[in-house]
Amino acid sequence: MIDNSLISTVLNRALSNGADFAEIFVENTSNSLIYFNDNKIKQNIFGIDFGVGIRVFYGLTAIYAYTNDLSEKSLLATADAVSKAAKGNSSLKSLDLTVRKIDNLHHYKIPNDTVSKEKKIDFIKEINEASRSYHQNITQVDVSLSEKNQKVLIANSEGLLAEDERNYTRVMVNSVASSGNEKQTGNVGPGALAGYEFIESLNPAELGKETARIAITMLNADYAPSGKFPVVIDNGFGGVIFHEACGHALETTSVAKGASVFAGKLGKKIANECVTAIDDGTIPNKWGSENIDDEGLPTQKTVLIKDGILNSYMIDKLGGMKMNLKPTGSGRRQSYKFAPASRMRNTYIAAGPHKLEDLIKSIKYGIYAKKMGGGSVLPGTGNFNFAVAEGYMIRDGKIAEPVRGATLIGNGAEALLKISMVADNLALAEGMCGSVSGSIPTTVGQPAIKIDEIIVGGRK
Amino acid sequence: MYNKEFEEIFAYANGKVDDIEILLVSNDNFSVRIHEQEIEAFNYSDEKGLGIRIIKDGKVGYAYTEKFDSETFRKIVDKALENSKFTVNDEVPIMENYPDIPKKPNVFSDELEKVGIDKKVEFAKNLEKYAKEFDKRIFNVPYAMMGSGKTYSKIANSKGLNKEDIQNYAYSYAGVLAGEKDDKRMGMDFIISRNFRDFDAKKLAEESCRKALDLLGGQQIESGKYPIVFNNEMMATLLATFSGIFSAKTVYEGKSLLKGKINELIANEKVTIIDDALHPDGLSTQAFDSEGYPAQTTVLVDKGKLVSYLHNTETARKFGVKSTGNGSRGYKSSLTVSPTNFFLKAGNLKENELFGKRNRIIEIVSLQGMHSGANAISGDFSLSAEGFLWENGIRKYSLKPFTISGNILQLLHDVEAIADNFRFNMSSVGAASTLIKELTVAG
Repeated sequence: MIDNSLISTVLNRALSNGADFAEIFVENTSNSLIYFNDNKIKQNIFGIDFGVGIRVFYGLTAIYAYTNDLSEKSLLATADAVSKAAKGNSSLKSLDLTVRKIDNLHHYKIPNDTVSKEKKIDFIKEINEASRSYHQNITQVDVSLSEKNQKVLIANSEGLLAEDERNYTRVMVNSVASSGNEKQTGNVGPGALAGYEFIESLNPAELGKETARIAITMLNADYAPSGKFPVVIDNGFGGVIFHEACGHALETTSVAKGASVFAGKLGKKIANECVTAIDDGTIPNKWGSENIDDEGLPTQKTVLIKDGILNSYMIDKLGGMKMNLKPTGSGRRQSYKFAPASRMRNTYIAAGPHKLEDLIKSIKYGIYAKKMGGGSVLPGTGNFNFAVAEGYMIRDGKIAEPVRGATLIGNGAEALLKISMVADNLALAEGMCGSVSGSIPTTVGQPAIKIDEIIVGGRK
Repeated sequence: MYNKEFEEIFAYANGKVDDIEILLVSNDNFSVRIHEQEIEAFNYSDEKGLGIRIIKDGKVGYAYTEKFDSETFRKIVDKALENSKFTVNDEVPIMENYPDIPKKPNVFSDELEKVGIDKKVEFAKNLEKYAKEFDKRIFNVPYAMMGSGKTYSKIANSKGLNKEDIQNYAYSYAGVLAGEKDDKRMGMDFIISRNFRDFDAKKLAEESCRKALDLLGGQQIESGKYPIVFNNEMMATLLATFSGIFSAKTVYEGKSLLKGKINELIANEKVTIIDDALHPDGLSTQAFDSEGYPAQTTVLVDKGKLVSYLHNTETARKFGVKSTGNGSRGYKSSLTVSPTNFFLKAGNLKENELFGKRNRIIEIVSLQGMHSGANAISGDFSLSAEGFLWENGIRKYSLKPFTISGNILQLLHDVEAIADNFRFNMSSVGAASTLIKELTVAG
């Protein structure tokens, strides 16, 4: 994407005011989106994201600048901008660049632009028809197919030079059920670090039916009760609880400056012993996987919590320097417009010994959250919230009537200790995670878990 | 600026498309974050991108690029043309050369441009210093930020429209953590303005600290129904979350609760909601929208009655009305409808008077989970909240985090009083503190 000698020139210019480290990130991405709504293709956008970001460190101070103009003049001006933002004592020169060989763990078969638009539209229409024919109260179906091919080049003054290509494919379906003034929705959004073969592996009719089923179930549901209850959160997207309640607070972004409830807790018990949690960027073709992170380091499988004991944080280069820990290949960013930060990849709670039925059976009165919506957390306090997308009452050890409109809130440090049972049905689900370095693809996951007590914010 | 690029694209598209519009946005942004009196992050950018919208045989196609060269310009015109073949529009879109408003609003400050980076860094350092000094229970200041931006935009179409605009602004943001025993609370506040004299580091630091400290030592609230006062910021947050229900596009797509409700009472008569692209204090003030259509002030809810939706020219034609100048798109996205400066009109009570109106009131000063716990289609919300219990007009104690649940339309009907402490938030949505009859609370 850019000449090696120019990279060296730019890195040396960025170091010229005494910086300790310089890095360049070049990106060339093509994006395609087909959005279908109201039985029609409503949008169809193609675009090119293109730019370069330059970062330098002065001690632990990070300076970042970016531009879309890759001419030598513009790159040197950007390098000047970062180098002049501070003054250092280092007389470092950039080392010779050595290409880092990458083992490609995530081959893809069918490049998305080789598939005809007609074929893609047929797939979308099949989803739409399956949803609408599920029930007469399905009044709207949105489907979007997003395809992204990101090519990155990362080089730094330590001599690293690495390139990677990431091809993402995702379909999102949202069905709306209406009756009178009531409206409820159901959605799914499977995605992969793969080509069009991922779409071909999906059953479009199932996607349509599933979203319609959730919307109709919730349309007929009463409001959830409010108060403190035991809750069973089922697998897949249920893992958003770990993502919000703990994951963000295990990123060095918050830990390194003491703004996390888990700061200083390495080797200590932070969860019930039935909890083992993992952040793994190596799962082939998974949505949150990569070959290398956005700092050029190979991605890893990182065990965060082992049998309740905090084993590792998620560590980027700068966070590692601040905490004197080795990076875990967790430096990620949305695009060249963001400096990298420690972020999650595919994050999940490992399978346990129980059956889902055992968890349900153990509760006299509580909530079964079959499907979760999104959530958020303040890492500094650990207080999190997330929404139940499809919920049911548990009465006398059995799943009873559906309930809607519940948000679960709690504190990450407390909730982890209240996970008392873990089932064996581990599943993962795709999402987008927003934080300091932008919005990036991540996977959440877990088997069904039981939390002994959590605040349920219903309407009754 | 960029006349050469625009001419090149127009020339290539000429004859291939029926109409074409080019939107270019270029930003200069700066931000600095301080931690422990050191620069923790320093970001600087000079970015640009352009998006085209073409019409061919009554169909629309879009494409964009951040790479500016002749080959890519030709590629995006071809891609937009190809994409247009598959889209289906309810209305054949029209591009026109829209007139200008008589007097352009003032959205650029020469004085602000003269404020150097050193001054901004110093401001952020002071912000952290004042916060740390304020109280020994402030144990960390994870966010002490100062930033500024300058945005140039240019829009032109094949009907002769050619408009450009330049805006600038600065902002600062403080987020502090207060701790006492096991309790940790976060306090945040911000300033956003075109006038550097509005930036008072000490006041901002102290306000953020006070917010965090006041919440410490919270007691648990008993679940039940309570009268609620949203402070001005949180009322704006709630309003922003549901602003989409006023978009004619959402209405047309069958996803708005306000479908078919024009001229009906949808709120208490104390409620007046306005979208004002010409507001002197708003940061979304503009002379024209993303179609080049002239900006205006639009009353949406007049004393409880829904009188208008927000429109671009496409939705306006569907509804047989005129655009309200709310056409919106970035260079990467397609045309939609968005509010500009969007607000609930202030009342005339002092904030304190609201708390005397009921024996027990919960005051909400922080909300979390807007993107997950609020359903814009059904209007239902269940949100994580922080706040205080008031009894007989006196703030008794802070509360441990709890949830509030309700429905936005019911809430608008249940507005009982509005104070006069109006404030715009960082995304140009404004409100004053508002008393709501009741919501369900779980704690």
